[in-house]
Amino acid sequence: MVTGKRPLRKIGFTLLVLAIVLFCIFPFLQMLSLSLKYQWDWGNPSLIPSRLNFDAYKELLNIGQSLKNVPESIINLLDESPDLTPAQRSAILAKYQDTGDVFPFLKYFGNSLVLSLTAALFSVILAVFGAYSFSRLRYRGRAVIQRGVLMVYMFGGILLLIPLYKVFVSIGLLSTPTGTFIGLLVIYMVQTLPVSLYMLGNYFRTIPFSIEEAAMIEGASRFGTIWRIIIPLSISAIATVYIYSFMIAWNEYLFASVFLKSYKDLYTLPIGLKTLFVSKNAIWDRIMAASMLTALPVMALFMTIQKNLTGGMAAGGVKE
Amino acid sequence: MQAQFKKAGKQPSGSSAAALTDGRTRTQREELLGWALVLPSVAIILALILYPVLYNIYLSFFQVNLSGASRFVGFLNHREVLGDREFWSALLTTVMYVVFSTIGATLLGLGVALVMNEKFPLRGLVRSLILLPYVAPVISVVFSWQFFFDPVNGIFMDIFYDKLGWFSQRINLIGSPATAVWVAIIFSIWKNFPFAYLMILSRLQAIDQNLYEAAEIDGAAGRHKFLYITLPEVYFVVNAIILLRVIWNFNKFEEVYLLTSNVKVLSVYTYLKAFTGAMDLGQGATLAVLQFILLIGFILFYVKRVIKW
Repeated sequence: MVTGKRPLRKIGFTLLVLAIVLFCIFPFLQMLSLSLKYQWDWGNPSLIPSRLNFDAYKELLNIGQSLKNVPESIINLLDESPDLTPAQRSAILAKYQDTGDVFPFLKYFGNSLVLSLTAALFSVILAVFGAYSFSRLRYRGRAVIQRGVLMVYMFGGILLLIPLYKVFVSIGLLSTPTGTFIGLLVIYMVQTLPVSLYMLGNYFRTIPFSIEEAAMIEGASRFGTIWRIIIPLSISAIATVYIYSFMIAWNEYLFASVFLKSYKDLYTLPIGLKTLFVSKNAIWDRIMAASMLTALPVMALFMTIQKNLTGGMAAGGVKE
Repeated sequence: MQAQFKKAGKQPSGSSAAALTDGRTRTQREELLGWALVLPSVAIILALILYPVLYNIYLSFFQVNLSGASRFVGFLNHREVLGDREFWSALLTTVMYVVFSTIGATLLGLGVALVMNEKFPLRGLVRSLILLPYVAPVISVVFSWQFFFDPVNGIFMDIFYDKLGWFSQRINLIGSPATAVWVAIIFSIWKNFPFAYLMILSRLQAIDQNLYEAAEIDGAAGRHKFLYITLPEVYFVVNAIILLRVIWNFNKFEEVYLLTSNVKVLSVYTYLKAFTGAMDLGQGATLAVLQFILLIGFILFYVKRVIKW
């Protein structure tokens, strides 16, 4: 439709594309811009900060924060008393540093990371075997299982949250931090499992069976062919599914907010950010810097699997 | 590939020889292995998805007590919920939210897919930028949207109050339920249209170009090509998108709750009922069951009447 013949039409088309791109990325640009602005600059509608301010990032990443809240007089006092042991010194400093005012971004980041990496790993391991079973082996009940897995599309989080919460409380899982962590891990795993099964099953069907057959004639067992043929041949699909599962766990708020309510040390980034926003520290630059840092890993991972996603492999195989 | 064959070939081949002698046929062995491989996944899905759904129905008949025994109350919860005006207003908000966000996301996805189906410089980059709203964590984008509509510093008010004068004063659009629901709808469209775009684009790329050429020879204008070739070709995928979007948007919690506390769609209403204040889990379960029944009803209607499967 767009040819060089009509320049006016070409300009219009370019403007349309620019408008679409701007619509998509404007919130991200604004996030970045605001995270780098000083407070007096917030009302300025321009996206370019009048002066760059990296304080928010430094604070979140805990760079150069060690002496920030310590009064001048205490630092002087410490300097003038060389006979204090290092232990005494740090004890005195700790008193001033731990004011509860600092947002433990790195800790929440770590919690989110451990939880998401582990949940995605278990989900993918289970899904590889399950999907192999779907796509390669014939047995009664296979169709039922396959269709049953897709039923999960209809279940919203809230429908599962109340009964799971009740069960987990009843068996005492939520009374210890470890139990809570495991409970959340299992839930994240099961949330992504059906989609992982579906996506991997579809992919395995595209691998010609003759390759496996050849290996089996040479004496490889089923597990041997899975390990040496199926997995190496579908490593990009497996990586895609892994990253997809990671992203689901990384973004999850509903279950985490209920389960982790009384365990502040286990907070994941979504609850941490929400808490930060409603607390007295709700300052736009910190919020935006934290938003940026939360979005970055997901965006980076997404860029790596983007080709597979747009290639249509995942089309129809996502669940929100 | 060659190397993999060799490695696989070197494996000790004891398993197949042993299996041949244990009296089972090949089909039986396959059946056993099939079940064995899928069993862990099935067991976990049954225990953590199917069982909770059933247990949720069970809970809806109880006055749930977290620390002690729950009391059976029959249909009391259901009667209370249905007699509650807040439930009906939440349902109304949900229907409004779902209808407009689904239509908006699907139409915008269709439009953007048509644009992205053309060839132009940097198309690859543009295509991946478009997907960013969909993949970004909800929590990391809500604050930017809140700031956008912020009455004091936000750009929206700067443009529409200061520059254009469409408002008589700076209004907090997220602050009142009547306007916040529209902010939530716009946010949902922004966040989810890339899904529709992606599905429609991959369908568009699969259309046989000969169809268009034939139509051009017959003298069809661009408008006719769109109406008689493109639309029928994407009809099925658009219907599938609408169905999925309704299911997902109907169940949406985070995209609404994290953006604004003033829009009480059913999920948010249930969450607040069950986990804040008196923590009425029984009524929460009832609400979740009702929401599920409504959804199933819609799916059946849509599949039978609209898609006509």
